[in-house]
Amino acid sequence: MITRETAKKSLHVPVRAVIKGVKDEAPGVRTLLLEPVEGQFPRAGRVSRPGQFNMLGYPGVGEAPISYSMLPPGKTDAKAEELFGHTIRRAGRVTGYLEKFKEEDEIFFRGPFGRGWPVEEARGKHLLLITGGLGLAPLKPVIEMAPSLGLAGATLLHGARTAGDIIFKAELARWKTGGAVEIGLTVDNPPGNFFKKRQDRGLEGFEKAIGEIRTGLITELIRPLQIDPAKTVAFICGPEIMMRFASRDLMMKGMGGAGIYVSMERRMRCGTGHCGHCQIGPWFTCKDGPVFSCAQLRGLPDVII
Amino acid sequence: MTGVNASQRNYRVILPENALARWLEWLGGFYTLTGPVGGGVAARFTEISKFEQMDLDYQSTMLPPGKKYLFEPVEEVLSFDVSEGVFSSGPYPPGRKRALIGVHPCDVNAILYLDMVFLSGPYADPFYRARRENTFIIALNCKSVTGLCFCHLVGAGPYLKAVSGYDILLTEIGEEEGAERRGGKNRKFMVELVSEKARELCDVFPFSMGEQPEEKDFEKMSRMEAALLKSFRKNLDMEGVQSALLSRPDHHALKETADSRCLSCSNCVMVCPTCFCHDVMDKTDVSLSRSRRVRRWDACQDISFAQVHGGNFRAQRHARLRQFVYHKLDYEEQFGRKGTVGCGRCIRWCPTGIDLTEIARAMME
Amino acid sequence: MGARRPRAGFFKFTCCSGCGFELAYFQRCLEETLAAFDFAFFRLASSSGTPEGPFDLSLVEGAVTEPFQIIELKKIRQRSKVLYAIGSCAITGGIPAIKALAPEAQVEGAAYKERLYGLASTRPHVINDYVQVDGFIRGCPPGERDLFEALSSALMGKDPEFTEYSVCMECKMADNKCVLVEEGLPCMGPVTNAGCGALCPAHHRACYGCFGLMGQANIHALKGRFRELGHFSEEDIENRFFTLFGALGKTERK
Repeated sequence: MITRETAKKSLHVPVRAVIKGVKDEAPGVRTLLLEPVEGQFPRAGRVSRPGQFNMLGYPGVGEAPISYSMLPPGKTDAKAEELFGHTIRRAGRVTGYLEKFKEEDEIFFRGPFGRGWPVEEARGKHLLLITGGLGLAPLKPVIEMAPSLGLAGATLLHGARTAGDIIFKAELARWKTGGAVEIGLTVDNPPGNFFKKRQDRGLEGFEKAIGEIRTGLITELIRPLQIDPAKTVAFICGPEIMMRFASRDLMMKGMGGAGIYVSMERRMRCGTGHCGHCQIGPWFTCKDGPVFSCAQLRGLPDVII
Repeated sequence: MTGVNASQRNYRVILPENALARWLEWLGGFYTLTGPVGGGVAARFTEISKFEQMDLDYQSTMLPPGKKYLFEPVEEVLSFDVSEGVFSSGPYPPGRKRALIGVHPCDVNAILYLDMVFLSGPYADPFYRARRENTFIIALNCKSVTGLCFCHLVGAGPYLKAVSGYDILLTEIGEEEGAERRGGKNRKFMVELVSEKARELCDVFPFSMGEQPEEKDFEKMSRMEAALLKSFRKNLDMEGVQSALLSRPDHHALKETADSRCLSCSNCVMVCPTCFCHDVMDKTDVSLSRSRRVRRWDACQDISFAQVHGGNFRAQRHARLRQFVYHKLDYEEQFGRKGTVGCGRCIRWCPTGIDLTEIARAMME
Repeated sequence: MGARRPRAGFFKFTCCSGCGFELAYFQRCLEETLAAFDFAFFRLASSSGTPEGPFDLSLVEGAVTEPFQIIELKKIRQRSKVLYAIGSCAITGGIPAIKALAPEAQVEGAAYKERLYGLASTRPHVINDYVQVDGFIRGCPPGERDLFEALSSALMGKDPEFTEYSVCMECKMADNKCVLVEEGLPCMGPVTNAGCGALCPAHHRACYGCFGLMGQANIHALKGRFRELGHFSEEDIENRFFTLFGALGKTERK
């Protein structure tokens, strides 16, 4: 019998969280640090993994799927330890509404949903991370756990529109000095060129820390790479057109589709594999993804990977 | 139907129609009886109070009974009291139990498909589950085939082969000699109690009114099924369709049908017994005191179905039509079976008569 | 709810005022609406009030058929944070746009026996032709769903989500008899934007498209279907699509 008590644990009922921190990452991009209240999270038996997402929203507005940019640490009693983060770009109806939220405001989420990045597959191999724009956010937890993954090595190639649009600048500088990840950066429009944006100013310190920022598309960074196809696993996250060309470049270097993983973005309403909006061929992006191998997606219609 | 062992046979009985009527009306004490009203291919499942309101000779309905009653067109899943700041979901439906009477094999198979969508996997939908548990399904094997049926191609009919997931199976196996009832013939039905629920509920009652089936009755059913199988007019190579579709996503048959006939009106999806897509919307009162999260049937033919910020993955009409055709005839990986049960509703209720089997056949040539 | 009620304005151009009536008299949440908004200008509800802004929400009904309306409309836009076109006249041209099918002088001659020198009527235009519109509350008159979505969204400060699917979907969800497939009536439902709750088909009437065509409407496919029905002349079919609520569509196609 279904009672009101079980109804409270229903997959339709969101968990309340308080915004404990707001960080501006780039124009229109903010990271929200959330602390779930009432001890409802993480729900029993569900461990959050990198690459998974929460349906983040507010009642009356709706929900949007947003990947973790900071994982909640496992189950702990100390409440402050339960903080987790989502990095959000103002885009549609829901994210536009979330733009107004400040510290100590309440927000609601359901999750975590989906299958994350298959980090176990990278054990003993070289992990190649290729990201574009906000695509760095879902891979940030992977980079942070990289030292504990038993990797043969890790490389992060990141592309953004302008230097001002590069998110996680402090983290990038930290990773660079940490040495666990090699970092390559490229921007479509270089700082100081004709289309110089106001947000590019004040980047000198960042450039000093990170080294050279190249100009051009992300493929400019992929082509010179020397990779051993059998000993490399690639995680790609960014706009679909960018993931198409990045994955194809890797295949030209001999990698098979099974070793290249991409994170897909589709319209989602439920997150639980019921509403059907996120279908890519036979797969549900929410349930079978959002991380797919290129082999899974090959030949499916309405996908450009 | 041959090779029935003794234990199974214990749960079978042959009932004349008048006894069936009395028995179903007795069942009405436990369940809200819901059956096909108005005959032919455009019957409608509605709540009934008397057996005579139903037409068990009906061929098809517009809305499939399973989808109509288990997965409601519009349903509130969550409500949020703004001033109190509390959510409530449910109470889960329904207050009253429902018996669906005369559900054809294709529609029973469609319910089994919806079970996979809403109940299998990591998340079970509590609304669907509550309705499913409270629904008593009385299936009815078909006695005629329409020109649009192709259930035989996917093993979904005309006789029901599933052994669980429903409660009772009826098969009309002829008429009682000499008996006149309301000016018509008194038909005889083979009644099989399939589920434990049905066996417990109907432990004694129907058996006292009917007779034990004999071998000749089962032989007669086999003959009727064989005759029905011969009367299908639609045919398609279901084995070959999968590779053909996926290798030709831009086939001209899709594009031409989309351009010349498809209205993107979503009728096909609405009447499809296995289509489960729905939209979820938040509605707020003008007084801003309460927000309600409502789900509503949605369709892949809508222009905004695959719209995200910055793009639409199926902006073109033929891509949306393709999604429907492929989801029905291909994509077996999704739930381990094809999405179609061969009921032919999408063809019958398409304003321009688009036939997915014809599109598939053209694509296989 | 904030301390300050949002200021709202309701403006009328060439139309029957039906949308204003819908908002002021026929909708179910009238009391809540009037309590939630400060209607600074709404001629149908109150003869006081001022069209001077600023407005948090402006609803504009009616088509633009006279030059002075263009100037007014632009002023309204400047004074409004959010502006929605409400009703078919404002969105598709609706009934006033039927006059676009004949030369202006001919229409005036038929309407007025003597030439009126004060008259400066132009060809009809939808308001989207002149100003940026934040959303369309479709219908003749609008359905409750979209109207409330607009009002509650304005109160909450979110973007509204209007219907973008066909009347057939609402019709099927109500389990109505299909008047096109079962009865052979020339129903416009398959290509018409939803929002009405399939009102006409529920009463055994063919939809006549008062909510306007939906996006990417496949007109020639439905025309072909109407021809197959057999008892409609080419002119009947053309009128069905391009007279009542699609006159501007016809003139644009020429």
